[in-house]
Amino acid sequence: MSGLRAEARVALAIARKDAVAELRGRHAAVSTLFFAGVVLLLFGFALGPDAARLAAAAPGLLWLAVVFAGILAVSRLHLLETEDDALEQLALYPVARRAIYAGKALGGFAVMLVLGLVVLAAVGILFAVDIGAAWPALVVTVVLGALGVAGVGTFYAGVTVRMRAREVMLPLLVLPVLAPLLLGAVKATAAALAGDPFGELGAWLQLLVAFDVIMLVAGAATYGFLLED
Amino acid sequence: MPQTTIYVSPRSLGAPDSRPPAVETFELARLFAGSAALAGVSLRIDGGRAVALLGPNGAGKTTLLRVLATIIRSSYGTARVDGLDVVRDADLVRGRVAYLSHATGLYDDLTARENLDFAATLLGTGDRRARVERALADVGLADRAGDRVRAFSAGMRRRLALGRILLGSASLVLLDEPYAALDVEGMELVDRLLAAWREVGVTVLVASHATERLTEHLDGSVVLDRGLVVETSGVGVASAAPTLASPSPRSAEATR
Repeated sequence: MSGLRAEARVALAIARKDAVAELRGRHAAVSTLFFAGVVLLLFGFALGPDAARLAAAAPGLLWLAVVFAGILAVSRLHLLETEDDALEQLALYPVARRAIYAGKALGGFAVMLVLGLVVLAAVGILFAVDIGAAWPALVVTVVLGALGVAGVGTFYAGVTVRMRAREVMLPLLVLPVLAPLLLGAVKATAAALAGDPFGELGAWLQLLVAFDVIMLVAGAATYGFLLED
Repeated sequence: MPQTTIYVSPRSLGAPDSRPPAVETFELARLFAGSAALAGVSLRIDGGRAVALLGPNGAGKTTLLRVLATIIRSSYGTARVDGLDVVRDADLVRGRVAYLSHATGLYDDLTARENLDFAATLLGTGDRRARVERALADVGLADRAGDRVRAFSAGMRRRLALGRILLGSASLVLLDEPYAALDVEGMELVDRLLAAWREVGVTVLVASHATERLTEHLDGSVVLDRGLVVETSGVGVASAAPTLASPSPRSAEATR
């Protein structure tokens, strides 16, 4: 088996394992979807009943809910590895460390993608935003945003997984790093919903692509150090 | 539990005389918060030998196993497995070492079969499905293969972790208290595994307090106390740093 094929196989096995454990244990999905729903409702209450105001704030609310809930989801996926010290066992396998990162990030991406699409639909319903015409661009934005959150979240979940205060430390570390992604995703979503009147959608999507590539490459290159004690 | 011969993968290790020692450490030390868990351990264990690692709690047995398994790094000194440095050549060492720790590293929401299948995929085991079924049968869990590990007792988890070792083709097996949590059948399983590994020339290092039980399966012993070797039997003591004697294969390739 060639190196890259072997690594892809390892990554898929890890992602599949996470997906099976998630489907059976409901570690991430239920709690994060519920959390995202609560975040949206609270922001909605805070902004008041003005429909125009809510619609204008919808892109920002969408991505704040996705990012907050996404951090929780990726963290929960990493907690699977703390059961009976499974992370230590994972580190013992004779496989490339970047394949382990890719597998964990892929599992996180799958959860993030579902989360992003559900929250997008919820925003459309709760804030009376018409996402019908803009859906292709919105889906692309959600895919790129989900990939970035999963990539960064997986890396920092690895950093904090052995910490006692990991629930506090993870958002503290991740949120500043995700600032460019948040900016790009909110701007791309707003542009898509408005019909891209200024032709800026492509530029914001390019920012998301660049962010994802840089973060995934950096995460893959350095994740191995996190597995060492 | 079936009493047929347990299948353990033999490794192609070359002629015995040409092999480097299976384990070689020189002045190996590991500090935890300023306290030395290992305080300068020098050992040489030849390939194919089964050696007990003995000593009281806190003697450094687990720390030594974890350094050899590449889980933790030493603070000072060197350690080699089959001539490979455990820090510099960690990727290659992982392909040669199997480690049973206190924790089993299993996933509660996966079944026993799924846990072994996952391990076999990451180990690159050929004929994966057949090997997984064989391993499940060998550790006496074939009839519970479809059950989630969450429902397993500590002893069953231990057996499953032993089954995971059978999926690989390690030349060095490190066992930390392998008899812990096992019933009589489980202990006999460990005995049979030790015999099987010995038969195919796999080196085994066992940290255990069950010295009487181990005696008939082992070729030697090392007694540790407070991070130091206080007694050896059938085991060499490394007298020179192995890094000075022979560069690692990877390093040798790099200089060509």
